[in-house]
Amino acid sequence: MEFLLQGLSLLMAPKVLLIICISSIYGLFVGAMPGLTATMAAALLIPFTFFMDPVPALVSIVTMSAMAIFAGDIPAALVRIPGTPSSAAYTQDSFELTKQGKAEMVLGVDVICSAIGGLMGAVVLMTSAPLLAEVAMQFSSFEYFWLAALGLSATVMVSRGSQVKGALAMILGLFLSTIGVDITLGLPRFTFGSVELLNGVDFIPAMIGVFGISEVLRNVLEGEMSYPITRVRAGKIFSGMGALIRRYKVNILRSGLLGTFIGILPGAGADIAAWLAYAVSKRCSKEPEKYGHGSIEAIVDSGTANNSCLAGDWVPALVFGIPGDSITAIVIGVLFMKGLRPGPMIFERQPEIVYAVYLAFILANLLMIPFGYLAIKASSQMLRVPKNILMPAILMFCIVGSFAINNSVFDIGTMLLMGVVGYFMEANGYPVAPIVLGLVLGPILEQNFMISMIKSEWDLTLFFIRPISAILGGLTIIVWFFPVLATFLEKAKKRNSL
Amino acid sequence: MKKSDLIGGGIFIALGVFIILLTLGFPTLEKGHPGPALFPRILAVLFIAFGGVIFFRGVKGEKKGLEAETREEVLVPKNYFNPIFVLILMVAYIILSNWLGFYITSTLILFLLMIKLRVPYLRGLAVSILLTIFVNLMFAKLLRVPLPIGFLGW
Repeated sequence: MEFLLQGLSLLMAPKVLLIICISSIYGLFVGAMPGLTATMAAALLIPFTFFMDPVPALVSIVTMSAMAIFAGDIPAALVRIPGTPSSAAYTQDSFELTKQGKAEMVLGVDVICSAIGGLMGAVVLMTSAPLLAEVAMQFSSFEYFWLAALGLSATVMVSRGSQVKGALAMILGLFLSTIGVDITLGLPRFTFGSVELLNGVDFIPAMIGVFGISEVLRNVLEGEMSYPITRVRAGKIFSGMGALIRRYKVNILRSGLLGTFIGILPGAGADIAAWLAYAVSKRCSKEPEKYGHGSIEAIVDSGTANNSCLAGDWVPALVFGIPGDSITAIVIGVLFMKGLRPGPMIFERQPEIVYAVYLAFILANLLMIPFGYLAIKASSQMLRVPKNILMPAILMFCIVGSFAINNSVFDIGTMLLMGVVGYFMEANGYPVAPIVLGLVLGPILEQNFMISMIKSEWDLTLFFIRPISAILGGLTIIVWFFPVLATFLEKAKKRNSL
Repeated sequence: MKKSDLIGGGIFIALGVFIILLTLGFPTLEKGHPGPALFPRILAVLFIAFGGVIFFRGVKGEKKGLEAETREEVLVPKNYFNPIFVLILMVAYIILSNWLGFYITSTLILFLLMIKLRVPYLRGLAVSILLTIFVNLMFAKLLRVPLPIGFLGW
């Protein structure tokens, strides 16, 4: 209780409240702009968080991401383009309903379900994180090695498109993390005589490159798109919502929990939560034929799941220092930058920060209703901001933002290179989020492996003798062989049915 | 035959081989246990293995996980020079900013990019100047980042 009050007082400081408002508007804008993702918004936010105290820094990311994931629904409903990948699952349904003249209802469901989902996620975060942290207290380097390996494997497993390409992207991230002084002998690896590279590839310019610059490159390639925007009467979005929510209360509960669970799994983010919730919803629905042709039930389910996932993503990030998705990978980078080590100790040493994060989730999701209403009201103006002005502006923010961390031009070069790599990889079907997860988890993976090996005098069996380590190791290996297993099972099933 | 997979796979295989070559000179730990070279070498082997899968998929022209390809077909009007132009501008910033200072370099780069993206001249110039002032306020004044000062002192 004491920490809760401390967290609350940290959150209620006028400066923090101002940051919350600014981050909300920023998140709503970026989320609503097709082509700009919440991850990009987080990457561009880091240079600013660098100059903030830990609580406002974390709170700004929490608020921004919650608002952005909701705002992605607005262009999905109005122009049939998802604002962020997390709204892609139900874009078709949203737009079909808009065509039937029900845009207000869709947007009302979007904002209310996002807020409820977000609150459910926050409750799960508040209850499960401290419990898991107690378990995590007993972890040693063996368990942390497996956790990092499990997180990375899960990321590859769930990457959309080719898993081999996902694996290559992750290995690239891991390789980039090996650049710099190694931990066993202090040997400079792959630095080619560069002093700047001794400390490794700086995470922040790399992130801004992969998520910011590549986005700019992609957008300028496509040229200006103009689309007819449906006008909405924002005043009507909440009418009939009470009955609708009561009707679909089971869906909301199911998808809220499902989304949070997906979030807790390392590597799977809000977009996957939305797709899965959509699939489950269709299977459980009494009207599955409506899916894809304007089903409000689909929107209720996936809209709840993607926002509840956000808080879930923070569970492994705070408890183990293993990011739940690419946004929390950025969060971990920010925590390290602030001299805070994510992991069970943060619950003992800085509980007020953890509580401030919990409360920020609750506040952000409550604020989502008024802010979301305003965003919907301003949607037609917002969607008219021309990209040919927005893209140069983002480019300049990327350049100055990556320079700002170390005041070094070298970082701008890193950003440029990573932007080009990210752009080409994505254009050829390689997911880019695993690069960043690899970059963040690489040092954790290598350090814990080397420490364990040196401690045990190169006895590999210890990785499987400690009970928790054995479970985590077993899970990791199952994930590795899952694609093979799935193909085998499918073949067996076909054979049986013949 | 799928060119992008052939090239992509080839690059990753080459990267793997290159990493192994670079790690040949790395020292080992006591009693000959692997040290700094271990992790990079494991990654190099994985690069070669998975890069090989992509490469052979390219040879066979297997259509799997081709989201990017279908996406490419959907987006019609393309300006291939625009991304290259953005990269040229970024390199120009790296080279010019210390000499011209932030104000001039930033305005110039923003203006050139906007013109390339077909913003009307006058509007482009006005927005470029305003944006430069805004970025300067945010970073130099608010966050106290020492943005480059050129020979003119601004």
